[in-house]
Amino acid sequence: MNTSLNAGVSNAQVKPLRILILGGTGFIGPHQVDYALSRGHNVTLFNRGQTNPGLFPNVEKLIGDRNAPNGYASLKGRTWDVVLDNPTQIPRWVREAGAALKDSTQKYVFVSTLSTFKNRKAIGITEDGPLNDPAPYDAVPGGFTPPDPARPTATYGQLKVRCEMEAREAFGDKALIVRPGLIVGPGDLTDRFSYWPVRIEQGGEVLAPGTPDDPVAFIDARDLTEWMIRLVENGANGTFNAVGPRYGLTVSQMLYGCKAVTSSSATFTWVDADFLLERKLRPYAELPVWMPPRGDSAGWARMDVSKAINAGLTFRPLADTARETLVYYHAQTPERQATLKAGLPPEKEREALAAWHTKIGH
Amino acid sequence: MSLDRRTFLKSSALLGGALGVGALPSLAHGLTSDGVDARAYRPEGGTSKSAPLRILILGGTGFIGPYQVKYAVERGHKITLFNRGKTNADLFPEIPRLIGDRNLPDGHKALSTGEWDVVIDNPTANPKWVRDAGTALKGRTKHYIFVSTISVFSDNSKPVDENGPLNTPSDIETPFDPSKYGSNKVRSEQEAKTQFGNNVTIVRPGLIVGPGDLSDRFSYWPVRIDRGGEILAPGTPDDPAQYVDAQDLSSWIIRLAENRTMGTFNATGPKTPTTIAEMLYGIKAVTTSDAKFTWVPADFLAEKEVRPWTEMPVWIPPIGRTYGFMRVNCQKAYAAGLTFRPLADTAKDTLVWYHSRPAAEQEKARAGLAPEKEKTVLAAWHAKQLAAK
Repeated sequence: MNTSLNAGVSNAQVKPLRILILGGTGFIGPHQVDYALSRGHNVTLFNRGQTNPGLFPNVEKLIGDRNAPNGYASLKGRTWDVVLDNPTQIPRWVREAGAALKDSTQKYVFVSTLSTFKNRKAIGITEDGPLNDPAPYDAVPGGFTPPDPARPTATYGQLKVRCEMEAREAFGDKALIVRPGLIVGPGDLTDRFSYWPVRIEQGGEVLAPGTPDDPVAFIDARDLTEWMIRLVENGANGTFNAVGPRYGLTVSQMLYGCKAVTSSSATFTWVDADFLLERKLRPYAELPVWMPPRGDSAGWARMDVSKAINAGLTFRPLADTARETLVYYHAQTPERQATLKAGLPPEKEREALAAWHTKIGH
Repeated sequence: MSLDRRTFLKSSALLGGALGVGALPSLAHGLTSDGVDARAYRPEGGTSKSAPLRILILGGTGFIGPYQVKYAVERGHKITLFNRGKTNADLFPEIPRLIGDRNLPDGHKALSTGEWDVVIDNPTANPKWVRDAGTALKGRTKHYIFVSTISVFSDNSKPVDENGPLNTPSDIETPFDPSKYGSNKVRSEQEAKTQFGNNVTIVRPGLIVGPGDLSDRFSYWPVRIDRGGEILAPGTPDDPAQYVDAQDLSSWIIRLAENRTMGTFNATGPKTPTTIAEMLYGIKAVTTSDAKFTWVPADFLAEKEVRPWTEMPVWIPPIGRTYGFMRVNCQKAYAAGLTFRPLADTAKDTLVWYHSRPAAEQEKARAGLAPEKEKTVLAAWHAKQLAAK
C-alpha cells in the first residue's frame, strides 16, 4: 500500500551483532533491547541490577556499578561488536568505560543531547553548530542537592560536551555520537510530552501555549532507538543531531493530533507567549515541548536533522506516539498517574486561563 | 453552492451495487477498528442490556447498513434484511433476506408476514417508500427507525436543535423528484409518524464518514494529506466542522432500538465543537506525511469558484446563511448515548479502506479539489499575498 501511514523501514536480514548496552533498563534502553532482539542481534546488559531487574529475563546481564572502583570488572575478557552507552552525563564514566572497553569493541555509541549546543538562536543548526564550553573532567551536575564541595559543578549541556570529548578521545573513529532532542513516548518518566495527551484526554478547556503555528520538535524513543540499532548495523560513524518529526510540526498540529487519538471534549485556548512569561509559566517544563520561537530559543525546534534522516532516521505517526503514551500512562499506578512531573498543575492552568480571559475580554 | 447531501446518499446506494463484492474485504477491515485505547475511547453500553431483538433492516447492504448488521449480530440480535438483492448481494450470506423492490407497486409484498421488534429504514428519500412500508408492516412492528438527514432544515443561518424550521414537505402524490432531497425527507419523516404513530425514532445524521463511504466526502482529506505537499485548507483554522463516523452512527441506532428510545434526533459530531484545523491536523497525525497547510479565506475561494462542501469537503463557510451549518445542536443525541470514536481511527481506517479499492476507483475521487485546480488556486493566493506586501 503506497501511503505514508508507516515510515517504511526494511526488515531485511542483517548480520547478527554482539551488542553490549551500558544501562539498558531505563527509558530508551528497553526499546533498544526489544528492537535489537527482533533484528536477531545478541544483547548483553551491563548495569547495577537495581533498575527494573525483572526486565528481559532471557537477556545476559553483567553486573557492575560505574561509581565503584573496579566497577567494570565483569566486562573483562569479553569482546563486542558494539557498545551502547545510554544517557550518562558524568565524564568520568565515559573515560572509564573507554579504558575498560576501547580494545574490546568495534564501536562505541554515546547518547548525547541537543543541549550540547551553546544556544538554539539560529534556525537550522547542524552538527557543527557552536557548543557549550566543556565542563571540567571531574565536574558534577549543578542544580542538584547536595552539591559536592570537592568538585566543580556544571550544567547538563556542559557535562555532555565533555562526555562527547571523552568518548572521541577514548574510542577515536569507533565513536558514534547521537544527540537526541526531547525523547518522548511510552516509558518516559519525565512526562515532558506525556502531559499533553494526558491533559487533553481529561478534556475541558486546555491552555495551549503561544500561537498555533509555533514549531515543536521531539523524538519518539522507539524511533530513536530503532534507528540507533540500524546505524550500528550499517557501520555508521560520526555525530548526529536526532530529533523530529521529519517535517516541521506546529504546536497546534501536535495538540490536535493528540486529541485525535481520544474521544475527549478538549477545547484549546491559545495564550500568547508574553502573557505566559509575565505570569512566570515556564516554557518546556510547565508548558511541555513548547519554547517561544524567538531569542535564544528561536531555533529550538528547528534544528537541522538532515544528516540523521539521510542516515535512515524515520518517524512514526504522531497518533502512534500519542496513543502508546496514553496506554503506558494508564498502565501506571494511580499514585504515579496523579503526579505528573511536567506540565501545568490544574489549579495553575485554571488561574492562568481565567486571567487570560479577563485580559482579552471574553 | 450546493449544500445538498443528496449526491452523497444517492451515490452511496447506487455505486454500492456497481461495486459488487469487490468492496467487501476492505469493508470488513473498516468494521474491525484496531488498537482503540479503552480509556481514550469509552463507548456507551459495552454489552446489550436488552433481550435479543428481531430486527428488520430495510436496505442493509449499502454504507451504514453493514455496520448496523455487524454490531447487532455481535450483541445477539436476530437480523433480517429486506432489499432488492442487488447491492453487495453476497454480503452476510448467513443473514435471512427478503427480496423486494420498493419502486414497484407490490414491492413491499415480502414484508406482509413476520413480526418485528424494530424495523430500521435506512436512507431513502422517497416518502412513498415509507408509506408503503407502513402499509405492509402495519401492526407487526413495535418500533420504526427512520434514517433522515439534517438537510431537513430550511434555515442554516443559526445553530438548530431538533425543533428548527423544516423545509416545505414535498407532495407524496406527485411524481418523485430526487432533487428535492430535503423536502422529500421532511415528507418522509411525516409519513413515518403517520404510519407508525408514537413508536417512531427519526435520526437525522449530518455528513456520514469512514470506511465504505463511496462519496469521498471526508475521505478526500486523509487521502490528500497522505499524499503530502502543500495543501489548500479552507477558510480559517477555527471554522467549525461536523461529521459522524458511520460505525458510531450505526451502533448508536442499534442501541436506540435496544433502549426503545423514541423521538427525533439530530445526529452528528464530535460531541464538543471541533474546528476544521483539529480535523485536518488530527488526520495528519495518523500519517508520516510532509503535508503543509495553507489556509485560504472563504471569499478568495468563492472568487476562484472553489465550491465548499463538494470541492472543500466537510467545510462550509460559517457565515451568513450557512453560519449554523456545522453547528447543529445534537445534545439530545449525546444524552441518548451517541458516542464518537477517536478521529485517528476514522482517518486511519478510511485511508486503509481507500487504498484497498481498485486503482481505477481511487483515481476517480467523487469529492475534493482536483490537483491542478488546487495548484492553480494556491499559486493565485500566494501571488495575491505577495502583491499585498
